[in-house]
Amino acid sequence: MYEKVVTITAEHGIHTRPAALVVKKAKSFACDIFVECDGKQASAKSLFKLQTLGLYQGVSVKVIADGEQAQQAVQEVSELLITLS
Amino acid sequence: MSVTGIVVSSGIAFGKALHLNFHHEKIDYRLIPTSQIAQESQRLHHAFDTQKQYLQQSLLKLEADSAHAALIEADLLILDDEDLVAEIDSTIGKLQVSAAVAIERIFGHQADELAALDDPYLANRAEDVLCLSRRLIARLNGAQHFNLSQLDQDTIIFAADLTPAEFAMLPLEHISGLVLHTGGVTSHTAILARGAGLPALLSCQYEQANIANGTDVVLNGVDGEVVIAPNSATIKQLLALKQQDESRKQQLLMLKDLPAETLDGKKVGLLANVGSLNDISHLADVGAEGIGLFRTEFMLMNTNTLPDEKTQYQFYCDALHLMAGNTFTIRTLDVGADKELPCLATIDEDNPALGLRGIRYSLSHPELFKTQIKAILRAANHGPIRLMFPMINQIEELDALFEYIEQCKAQLVEEEKGFGELSYGIVVETPAAVLNLKAMLPLLDFISIGTNDLTQYTMAADRTNPMLTRQYPSLSPAVLTLIQQTIDVAHQRNIRVSLCGELASDPKVAPLLVGMGIDELSVNLSALLEVKSALRNINYQTCLSQAKHALKLTRIDELARYINGID
Repeated sequence: MYEKVVTITAEHGIHTRPAALVVKKAKSFACDIFVECDGKQASAKSLFKLQTLGLYQGVSVKVIADGEQAQQAVQEVSELLITLS
Repeated sequence: MSVTGIVVSSGIAFGKALHLNFHHEKIDYRLIPTSQIAQESQRLHHAFDTQKQYLQQSLLKLEADSAHAALIEADLLILDDEDLVAEIDSTIGKLQVSAAVAIERIFGHQADELAALDDPYLANRAEDVLCLSRRLIARLNGAQHFNLSQLDQDTIIFAADLTPAEFAMLPLEHISGLVLHTGGVTSHTAILARGAGLPALLSCQYEQANIANGTDVVLNGVDGEVVIAPNSATIKQLLALKQQDESRKQQLLMLKDLPAETLDGKKVGLLANVGSLNDISHLADVGAEGIGLFRTEFMLMNTNTLPDEKTQYQFYCDALHLMAGNTFTIRTLDVGADKELPCLATIDEDNPALGLRGIRYSLSHPELFKTQIKAILRAANHGPIRLMFPMINQIEELDALFEYIEQCKAQLVEEEKGFGELSYGIVVETPAAVLNLKAMLPLLDFISIGTNDLTQYTMAADRTNPMLTRQYPSLSPAVLTLIQQTIDVAHQRNIRVSLCGELASDPKVAPLLVGMGIDELSVNLSALLEVKSALRNINYQTCLSQAKHALKLTRIDELARYINGID
């Protein structure tokens, strides 16, 4: 299992459109990927769940992955989370 | 007969009414027998598939990667969400309910969770989720995609709401207008309608008028109403209005993206006076560079209870989102005198114009004031805000209000709520403010001259008293002198001077004000392009000499004749 903590920098947070990009990226991996924020956890492959985390500017999130290519998945998803605007 | 609505995309449209109904899907809440569970599960998957196909079909009509397409892709991703489908599916079995009840339940939870988020941008997504849920339930009940390929004449669409996908499927060549029951100004449909130049009314209670399909209707997107089965005289009148509206718009619209500058290149800030989110959404239509006056009392006008900090915070955040980083000037609550609000207790004063109004009201109601300040400080975390205070006379008032602002910041730190820094200014609208300005400037980042009240208090004439119109002229030598004094004092300290009174909206006066040294004009939305047109047709040198001449005139009527080009 791999994990990494990043801070959201997108001015308006990860709302529908950026969240959709995160889901797309997560779905390109076979392993389980989760995003954890403020004690709540959601699958990075579920836009429905991801939206309820309240990923706004300045919050810290933990990206967790387990399984095939988990390390690369964590790397790519967390990179996307901090570069989205 | 007519019904009213909020104009989100202006223009006048003629056509036959056509209802697209998606709402009022009846849901049967009774428990289902276990034998029916498998069947409901199948119906659920079928509804998801049908809606997905529809969304994919609508995407074909759009440019890939456009903002419009992205909205539809987001809905598609939600429908593709395996966890979601599994959760609804298991709800059918666990609770022994129909697919419709399960969808309503799970999507409802989701919408509640989104709405509860502290971030207004994310919270707004709750409405999208509910809309998608209604569509899925309609699919379960066998609703077909609406087929408008038969349309061959101008049609005005009436619908409870309209998703981005449905908007994409509209044959726009036959659709002249859009009337929706729901929808806010920031809703996707409002933005799409504006983008398409399609006249549109939202928040319209058209059901009460029982408009049959095929009825002749006129969407008057100038005054915000739908006229039903108009007689020939009304049609003639509206046609004339349409022509007038369009030819004037065309002329002025050519100026929209051109800078506000004189023939010889002197640039002037041209901002707008607004009072609602709807106004803000129209800024781009007229090419306004930002907001020079946002009247916060208007957000309290239609409510009986005072909005709390969170509500106000969301409101300012919505506004900032629309502003996208452009100048955004908020004036704190300006109540009292002629502005009474249903949610505030009226004060019985012998002389309200000289009474507890503007900043005086705010300072004597600290809880009210601090709620507003905290909401604004928090919103400033999401974008730049200039804050100005009305009816300031004295430096002591500034001391008192900055003390409150410090208290607000301390409270926010304690509550662990993020906030941003503001720029501060005052509305110069009393002779005392002009005379005391020099002492107050070190505390300020900008000032804005409010000429309506400055005239009223300089001339000691009630501007609402019809017997005093001669004592309350739009322009008088005394007020002109005070404006010049204000500009000179502020410029000595390199402070920018804005002017937000009605005077700025007069295309004949605006060049004169520029000649006097005003840096920014903040004008009514409807006058913005007219003012820009006036500035673009004059030399700065002419503005300077106009100002010089006007300041020498000693009589009100001389000044009026000069401004009107008679002398």
